[in-house]
Amino acid sequence: MRKRFGILLVFLVAVSALLAGCSGGQSPSEKNGEVTLKFFHRWPKDPEKSFFDNAVKEFEKQNPKIHIQTEAVLNDSYKEKIRVMLGTNNPPDIYFSWSDEFADKFVRGNKALDLTPYYKEDAKWSSQLVQSQISPFTFNGKQYGVPWTMDGKTFFYNKDIFKKLNIQPPRTWEELISVSKVLKKNHYTPIAFGSKAPWAISHYIGTLNQRLVDEKTREKDYNRATGEFKDPGYTEALEKFKELVPYFNDHPNSIDHEYARQLFTAGKAAIIYAETAEIKLVEPGIKFKLGFFDFPSIPGEKGSKDFLTGAPEGFMISAKTKHPKEAMKFLEFLTSKPMGEKLVKDVGKYSAVKETTNRTNATPEQIEAVNKILDAKEMVPWFDTDVDIEIVDAYLNGVQMMLNGQKSPKGIMKDVRKAAASLRESSQ
Amino acid sequence: MSKNRKLLPYLYLFPAILFLILFVYIPIIQNIGFSFYDWNAFSPEKIFVGLENYLQLFRDPIFYEALKNNIWYAVISIIFQVFGALVIAAILEDKLVRRFSPVFRTVYFLPVIISMTVIALLFTFFYNPDVGLLNQLLRAIGLDHLAMAWLGDSKTAMFAVIAVSQWQSIGYIAMLYIVSIQKIPNELYEAAEIDGANKIKMFFHVTVPQTKEMSFVAVIITLTGAFTVFNEPYILTGGGPGNASEVLSTYLYKTAFSKDMMGYASTIATVILAITLVVSLIQMKLFKTGKEG
Repeated sequence: MRKRFGILLVFLVAVSALLAGCSGGQSPSEKNGEVTLKFFHRWPKDPEKSFFDNAVKEFEKQNPKIHIQTEAVLNDSYKEKIRVMLGTNNPPDIYFSWSDEFADKFVRGNKALDLTPYYKEDAKWSSQLVQSQISPFTFNGKQYGVPWTMDGKTFFYNKDIFKKLNIQPPRTWEELISVSKVLKKNHYTPIAFGSKAPWAISHYIGTLNQRLVDEKTREKDYNRATGEFKDPGYTEALEKFKELVPYFNDHPNSIDHEYARQLFTAGKAAIIYAETAEIKLVEPGIKFKLGFFDFPSIPGEKGSKDFLTGAPEGFMISAKTKHPKEAMKFLEFLTSKPMGEKLVKDVGKYSAVKETTNRTNATPEQIEAVNKILDAKEMVPWFDTDVDIEIVDAYLNGVQMMLNGQKSPKGIMKDVRKAAASLRESSQ
Repeated sequence: MSKNRKLLPYLYLFPAILFLILFVYIPIIQNIGFSFYDWNAFSPEKIFVGLENYLQLFRDPIFYEALKNNIWYAVISIIFQVFGALVIAAILEDKLVRRFSPVFRTVYFLPVIISMTVIALLFTFFYNPDVGLLNQLLRAIGLDHLAMAWLGDSKTAMFAVIAVSQWQSIGYIAMLYIVSIQKIPNELYEAAEIDGANKIKMFFHVTVPQTKEMSFVAVIITLTGAFTVFNEPYILTGGGPGNASEVLSTYLYKTAFSKDMMGYASTIATVILAITLVVSLIQMKLFKTGKEG
């Protein structure tokens, strides 16, 4: 009898131990007015990780009753994980988000808190944000996110190579092609480009579409409910992109953007289309002078040349949070002027707070780049966060094949139109 | 007491069965249910669409592309992993080589214990078109025209990925065969030798039939592996360029987690389940047994 009892006991212990392992995820304790917020971002690596760790420490020191629990996963995994986490009953209180369609998806699914009252209530804080960076987080006239960084895409070039070959930074598409020809003749890779991770393609496509399709048509087509992509400008945009292919490094499909950037920093490639936030990554490694030029103007372009491709990144608050006030307090802290200045200095990203990039914490090149963003009449969001993923997919897969010579611009547009048609149907 | 004796084994099995039901069988059944709905991770409601997802899948060209790639995976894996491993095992167990065989066994088995992520990253460098070892080797021996962008070219991407799997898994199957060959009674080889059989004849007439049971196991492992493969293509190419190296599970993953089409993804999962199930059933019929004898 005793033996049997022993067996039963062992069995019970084993099962309960196993079950205990599965039952995690209790909600954080809240005693005597203390609040724990869950904060989810996409930088498990430095320098951003230390920046956030320090920011959280500093904030907790100022607000001893608020605790912040941070979790972070990298870029592509973040895109997947945040979708799943927001679908659960225990979503993070504060989470990172890209702007436009990426954020709008959460708004459509009622996963984001309307922050408009907070923007109005604390006008002193909200007026110090760079105003053009708020609209990518604004949907139906309401603010759903707080922009944290701003970023734009521009051409970087190697001033030393240009000087040596006696060429000028191009201002028109024709000049870009002729400059590339000279570079190629002198055994430089004219333009570094890596599309193994295909998002790099979308940055070119986004700008070319903006330039070659008039704004109203583009707006209608980028909307999932009305998109048709019938304008000949889209095909033309792909044709233009195709004209650049001979001047890219060989096999762009087998290298990623980071490797392409190394080709540029090593002085092997003369030009790269890169994000302003990358200056901090390029500058320490180079032995040449870094210059910038705007995306060249294209004959017959319909979109404004004063638009800049780029978008803010920011944070949103979960619609299910129990502590919206505290969460907002943390976001206001993150987007305060001192934190913004620290961000530029330590991380090299440009804060979406006014006048945070200055001579005390940035190089002249970085200031030049920030001015490009501030001077832009309007921002054109990254193509892959601006349109539905089905359209992005059709584009990026198609262009990868075009780079291998297996698909034509017309063929790609056929797939895109098909994807758009099925989207229109499903969103009715 | 004797009644208790009968129940006791079930008591011991109960926890394992419970967890198997909880974590394997219930999710499978749930997944089949999900495949009849149109939904995503944060949509407020699921919309019942019946067989619509299945109809869409059978019209989806990417599905066939992925399926074709899985079949390539299976065919090549059977040839190289199963048959290749048997040959390697037979050589390692041969009298002449047996002295060194521990060294070789370690060498062949080493890739099996390295994490797939590490291997995949290693091979991205190996296949790099400019500085990669493979192209440098080809150029060094004058085969410049063969050097190419292995992972970036739509024609070679899938095969470059499959090659990595062969390199990694052959050691595992070889190890299984070595165990099996060691069980073959020596008399059979001696008798064959007296009858005047050479090494190749011995291989085909003694080793192959005597390891039939292990071959069955090996074929099942590689075939189901080939239809559920994910890590290698996901890390090496992400399914690209285009969809050239898409397999069913990378397509499933993309559909579920980057396109938010959970219902459609469940449909793909159900089809993968059906394929692997049918493959195993056919094999069981063909080999007429599933027991190691």
